[in-house]
Amino acid sequence: MLTLVVTGGLYAAMAPGSVAEDAVDSTAVEAGQELYENSCITCHGANLEGVTDRGPSLIGVGEASVFFQVSTGRMPLARQEAQASRGPVVFTDDEIDQLMAYIQANGGGPLLPSGDLRDGELAAGGELFRLNCASCHNFAGRGGALSSGKNAPNLSEASDLQMYAAMLSGPSNMPVFGDNQLTPEEKRSIINYVQTLDESADPGGLSIGRAGPVPEGVVIWLLGMGLMLIGVFWIGSKA
Amino acid sequence: MSNHRADGGEQYPAPPPSSDELATMSHTELDALGAHMDETELLVLSQAPPPGSIAEKRAERQVALCFGLATVFALAFVSVFWGAGWFLPDWEYEIDGSTFGSLFTPLLGLTMGAALAFLGIGIVLWAKKLMPHEVATQQRHGGASDPVDARTAGGTIMAGLERTGAARHNIVRRSLLGAGGALGLLALMPLGGLIKNPGRGDELMKTSWGEGIRLLRDDGTPIRPSDMQPGSLETVFPAVEGGNRQADAATMLIRLRREQVEQIEATPGQEDFGFQDYLAFSKICTHAGCPVSLYEQETGRILCPCHQSQFDVTRGASPAFGPAARALPQLPIEVDGDGFFVARSDYPEPVGPSFWNRET
Repeated sequence: MLTLVVTGGLYAAMAPGSVAEDAVDSTAVEAGQELYENSCITCHGANLEGVTDRGPSLIGVGEASVFFQVSTGRMPLARQEAQASRGPVVFTDDEIDQLMAYIQANGGGPLLPSGDLRDGELAAGGELFRLNCASCHNFAGRGGALSSGKNAPNLSEASDLQMYAAMLSGPSNMPVFGDNQLTPEEKRSIINYVQTLDESADPGGLSIGRAGPVPEGVVIWLLGMGLMLIGVFWIGSKA
Repeated sequence: MSNHRADGGEQYPAPPPSSDELATMSHTELDALGAHMDETELLVLSQAPPPGSIAEKRAERQVALCFGLATVFALAFVSVFWGAGWFLPDWEYEIDGSTFGSLFTPLLGLTMGAALAFLGIGIVLWAKKLMPHEVATQQRHGGASDPVDARTAGGTIMAGLERTGAARHNIVRRSLLGAGGALGLLALMPLGGLIKNPGRGDELMKTSWGEGIRLLRDDGTPIRPSDMQPGSLETVFPAVEGGNRQADAATMLIRLRREQVEQIEATPGQEDFGFQDYLAFSKICTHAGCPVSLYEQETGRILCPCHQSQFDVTRGASPAFGPAARALPQLPIEVDGDGFFVARSDYPEPVGPSFWNRET
């Protein structure tokens, strides 16, 4: 009884604030629903329940998933293929916010973080990246092939927020890294590491995909030795 | 045996010039005599430009220009190398540092390369423009030695062997053979360390996992069923000393998506190895032992990056594609009294690639 009274009292105290918030949100939700019904409904269904063989249900995927898919231009999907790939962004930032509000209002789900996403510890980020991410995204974050035409994308184009959203929501075949598996600090460390990797210069000039010393050696051998052989033959034929 | 000489013996072995004659000969004559004795003929294709001619002067200037440029670039190398941090900016490379810092190594390479290239070009120009072009021909000589030489050389070797008395001194010969054999055996000893019976002591048959051993993250923290989201993967290690450095114990703890739970077709006899929607499989590929952790959460497939073997998680990680022939061994898991994941036993079969004396 006491609990009920306390809960009721608390609810009454909170209620006016949440009503005001709802008023702001509901316009965004309505605008988001309109956008959804124009651009997404064909594959994700009238009530976000998904359409078999076209698109998954969006109930409970959260705003993080919407932000990742739409802000990287993966959605709206141009055509059905092995995997949606990065492309030109169709919606404006405001429209993305409205879509996020609409999806978040239907079933909740992971929320986007705010603030500086690069204040994590760099060395710890490297460790975590190699343990959790490098197997698919390559140790230099350059991506790699998966089965049946799918791939783990190159991380050099991804923004901090997109990386964070990807870890939270596990887009397509990427495993989900919830906050109990990789804490927000650990996620920021990983982002810091990946962006530092990307900003570091290539001392040799040409990175060759940062694939490592063996492919670099092969390139030197094939190209360099080939050029030298051509030079040798040229000098020989002129003499 | 002079019949192999093509031009009938009028050259060598014509009597060689006496030492008095040699003393009066010029370098050119001596060179010609040597070539003659070697049955080598020089064919001059074109002469060098006449001394003092315009062509010669021009060629001289070109060669000298190349050598001069080689000098300039070599000195430039020295001044870049020693000048950095002195009269030039510091050479040490820093992100967003000076342009000179990022150009230091390429500049060293370019100046040294240019110096060597101009030196080479100068030498080639010298040879092509200031020297006569000649072709030398030499008679081919017969291959075999004179039979007398062959017999006497053989005799020298055999007589030498006889003088050692090896045939007579039996005890010396046999003890030497014994020493040689023992030394050969000695040389084989280092190979002993490479030959090991992996079946002994059950090393390949079991891992550190066992009943009640917790599943730990790389940083040593235990895992609760609420820690992972559906469609996630965590690499886990046994809670034993140095567990996260044991190559055979690495295990993938996978939480399936909701719709995948209904599709589970467990390996017969291993239906209860998972815990709710969690399954744990060995991370070591059964084909060649690579770490398989390219987990596709939508298709529920684990991909091995080495040879593209794929394992279907919902069907007991049985191979779905590629060279692997056996399923990834499944680790039976449960949750202990504190709510953390523990293993119920070791893997039911050896992890990793096949080997000759494994039974399953």
